[in-house]
Order: sequence, then structure tokens, then C-alpha cells
Amino acid sequence: MDIETSTSLAIEAHGLSRSFGDVRAVDGIDLAVASGSVTGVLGPNGSGKSTFLRLLIGLVRPDGGSATIAGAKLRGDGVAVRKRVTFAPGEIALYGELSAAEQLEWLLRGRSHKALLHAHAVADRLGLPMAKRVHEFSHGMKRQLLFAAAMGPDVSVRILDEPTEGLDPAKRSCVLELIAEEAARGTTILLSSHHLSEVEQVCDRLVFFFKGKLLADEDPAELRRLAAKSARFEYATEAAATAAAALLKTAPAVANVHQDRHVLRLELDGVANPLALLEGLTASLQDLEPPVNLELGRLSLTDLYERVYGVRGL
Amino acid sequence: MKLNRQTRSALFAMLGYTAALQLMLSAAILYWPAFRENTGALKVLAGPIPMLKDMIVQLEDKGSVAYVLSQHFFKGCNVLGVAAATLFAVGAVAGEAHRGTLEIFLMRPVTRRRLLTERFVSGALQVIVPIFLTTLTIPLLLARVDEVGSLGRYLLAGVHQSLFLLCLYALAFFLSTMGRTPLKLAFGVLIFAIFNFSMYMVKTVTHYSLFRLADIQTFLDVYEKGPNWGLWAIFAGTIALLFGASLFVFERRVP
Repeated sequence: MDIETSTSLAIEAHGLSRSFGDVRAVDGIDLAVASGSVTGVLGPNGSGKSTFLRLLIGLVRPDGGSATIAGAKLRGDGVAVRKRVTFAPGEIALYGELSAAEQLEWLLRGRSHKALLHAHAVADRLGLPMAKRVHEFSHGMKRQLLFAAAMGPDVSVRILDEPTEGLDPAKRSCVLELIAEEAARGTTILLSSHHLSEVEQVCDRLVFFFKGKLLADEDPAELRRLAAKSARFEYATEAAATAAAALLKTAPAVANVHQDRHVLRLELDGVANPLALLEGLTASLQDLEPPVNLELGRLSLTDLYERVYGVRGL
Repeated sequence: MKLNRQTRSALFAMLGYTAALQLMLSAAILYWPAFRENTGALKVLAGPIPMLKDMIVQLEDKGSVAYVLSQHFFKGCNVLGVAAATLFAVGAVAGEAHRGTLEIFLMRPVTRRRLLTERFVSGALQVIVPIFLTTLTIPLLLARVDEVGSLGRYLLAGVHQSLFLLCLYALAFFLSTMGRTPLKLAFGVLIFAIFNFSMYMVKTVTHYSLFRLADIQTFLDVYEKGPNWGLWAIFAGTIALLFGASLFVFERRVP
């Protein structure tokens, strides 16, 4: 019997593992995702997040461990899971000879006609030209077509592998908006990305992968607090960055300055008004070469891994 | 019924293969009277190649039946059929892997067993339907040259030919479930087939050639004596075994 009665958990993975040769791509992942939540899976390239998602829908067989998704146990080729879950793959390859409408129909084979209609509605909202052949589509348009197919069927869990990768800002916002609307309807969403700032907008939980293992499990609000205390100064030259670093280290409310060649990452301390602080900092550097780029309140995945998890060289 | 571009392209490939077989068959049968007139001269010409000479002797002894079996099955279907079986099989899974579409092929809510069975059956039909379609025209063509033949017996020869080709198709299909480059696989299978055909033409090693199982004498035996059940069971077993192995590999394949 493949199907089990549903619980309040939409996804449960216990010790899920998979190796490719000597490489342990996914190493004993334990993860429980509550029904109706939006969980972001983050990690640098090669951290195992895509393999983990593929394991969950049965595209790749695990070497060890078990999983239950949307009440269906992951067994055999995983068809019981795929009937209850939709997936948008991270790898983009479609049949160029088909029109977008034909491709959508092909992708939704085995689903209801209603699913196809809904997917068309999503594609329309994204502004995809459905009569055009897929080989005329850009990389981003292909990704949106796969996203539309994953949003079509009426399922309780959707797994999206890097759904915003390679999209322009307007389309990215539209995709994130559609994800948020879907979440509001109570659908469980598991999505991967390596852009922290994007997923924290829609996720209520973030899990971080590194070398096939689950490194951390965070509340996005906590990360936003952390990000608010971060500043990044980018200089044209390393010498300019070094000169600025010497001054900034003595500045009030700067807890730490980390220099990575021409980039300075500042950890601010006890900041009530970060913008005013930033103005003060830039004013104190006015005799030096100005930075070419300046960011406040944004934390990149690299920053987070380095500062919080102590993982360097991503 | 609206067919998508992929189905239409598969149908066009099958129609092309059917047309080529039909052209070869029609030309051969219409040439039969001239061939019959010249068998003596052809025997002399084929003298340096004993296997070829033996074939012409067979044609001389058995008349139009042996001639049609040799032209349509031994020559036409063995040559074009082997190429079609290889080309229709190698793309089944390796083609998807090569173009990067294996992931979307596998991610739909359909079992892998069903996906592979559908691919296998549709490719197999592409290989064998043209054989039967063209075989159906043999009596009509023979009537044009004042000859007769049993359609039922020619169709039995068609069954034998289909089973033989399906063995090769199943081998190419199995390799496709493991591979990523259909072109390399096609080269490998075609070189294997050409090597076997070359062996067939060399008297000292001819018995080791797979084409001994689909030569003029074999087709004549099927035509005259009826189905070779033992050999057909071996063919069917080989196809089933290779398909089973393909399923085993495909169930575990990573996109």
C-alpha cells in the first residue's frame, strides 16, 4: 500500500541519502515540513538541494532513509508521490519542436483538464506566448512555462527547484507573487534557491544545505534582523578598501569589519537608525576614494554562510 | 484527432521507411522477368563469391517465391529494417538524456514501466508495420508480371522478419536505456549488424552470422513448411529478456 493517511506534516524525510560514485550528494537529511508552510531550501551550487528535491519526488532513488510526501510514501519509482505533488525542475530542457501550448499539455499528461486550464491561466498571467514554439523561448520563458505546469494541478504540495533563477526582476516578482497567493490558499511549498533575499520574502522557514547535509534551520525574521545589521562597501581597488577598513574599524557602532580584497563587510552593532549610521560612516570616509557600491540591510548567502555558519570560500 | 508534432514526426519517419521498402519491392518484382532471363549470366558473374552464387542457384530452383523472399525480406527488410530498428530504438531514452529532457520525461505522474513500455511498443510498431504493409502488396505486384504467390505465406515470412528485427531493436533499445549519446549507440549497433552481414557473405564463417537466421533459405522454409516455432520462441524470449533488462535499468536511471 503506497498511500497513507495524511498528517499535519506535508513532508517528512528521515535519513534521506544518495551518493553518486564517491560523492555523497545528500547525506542523511531529516526534515519535517508542516502542511501549508512555505519552506525555502538554500545552499550554494553543489550543496545537494536539487538532489534532495529530486529524491522527494522519486526522480532519483535514495540509497537510504525514507520519506512521506503529501501522505504518500516514497517507494519504487515514486509515482504515488508524483500523483499528489507537482515539481518544477531546476534544469531547463524542453521539446523545442512543440509549441508552448503543446508542451504544457505534454507536461500535464496524467493530470486533469482543469489542471491544464489553470496552468494556461498562470502562463497568461506571466505573459507567455503560448502559440510560439518552445525553441523560440528564452531560458527564462522556459522556466516560467515549467513553473506554470507545476502550478496547474490541484495538489497539496508543490516542489519548485530555483523557480526564479534567470528571470528578470518583473517576472521574478510575478512568480514570487504567485507563490505567495498559492501559499495563502494553504498549499505546502518547498522551493530552492541560492538567493537569500528572494526566498525570505515568501518563506516562513529557511533550511540551509551544505555538502549534502542540513546545516541550519532558520526563521526568516531572525535573518532579516541579522541582515539589518549588515553593510557592504565595494571599492574599485583593494588599496582603497584597505584604507577605508582602517577608518571604519574605529567608527562607533561598527562591531566588525571583514575585508575580502576590494569588498568590506561590516557588522553593525546596536543600530537604531541604520540609514543615519550609514550617512555618518560615509561622511567619515569623505577624504578617501568613494565606494563604487554600497548596500545596507542585505545579507547574501555567502555572507550568511561565512558569518553565521563559519563556511568560507563559497 | 489532433496529433502533436512529435507523433507526426514519428509517423513521417515510418511513412518514409514504408515508401523506401515499397519502392525497392516494386522495382524488384517488376524486374523479375528480366532477372529470370539472365540467371545464367548472373551465376557466371557471381562465380567469385560462392555465397552469392548459391543464392542465385536457389532463386533459379525456386522461381519467383525465392526471388521475392530474397528481394523483399533478405535484402530490403534486412538492410532498411536494421537501419530503422536501430534508429527508432537508440533515441528512446538516450535521445532524451542527450537533449536534456529526461527529467521532464520522468517527472510526470506516470510509472516508469508505462513510459518505457509505450516507447518500446511505439518504436516496435514503427519497425514492423511497414513490413506488413508492403508485404500486403506482393500478390498485386506479382500479378503484374504474371506470377502468383500465397499472401498468407508471405505474411508468415513477414512475422519471421519482424521477430528477427525486433531482437535487434530490443538490443538497441536496451543500450539506449543505459546511454546518453544516441549517435554513438547507432554507430555501434549498425557496425555490429554490418559486421554480421559481411560474415554472412564469407563461406567459412557464414554459420556464425546472425543473418543465417533471416536468409533466403530460412524464409523459404517458413514459406513452404510454416512457422519455425522453436526459432520464433527464441526470438520472442530474446526480445522479452532485453525488454526486461531495459525496464530494470530504466527504473533505476538518474535523469
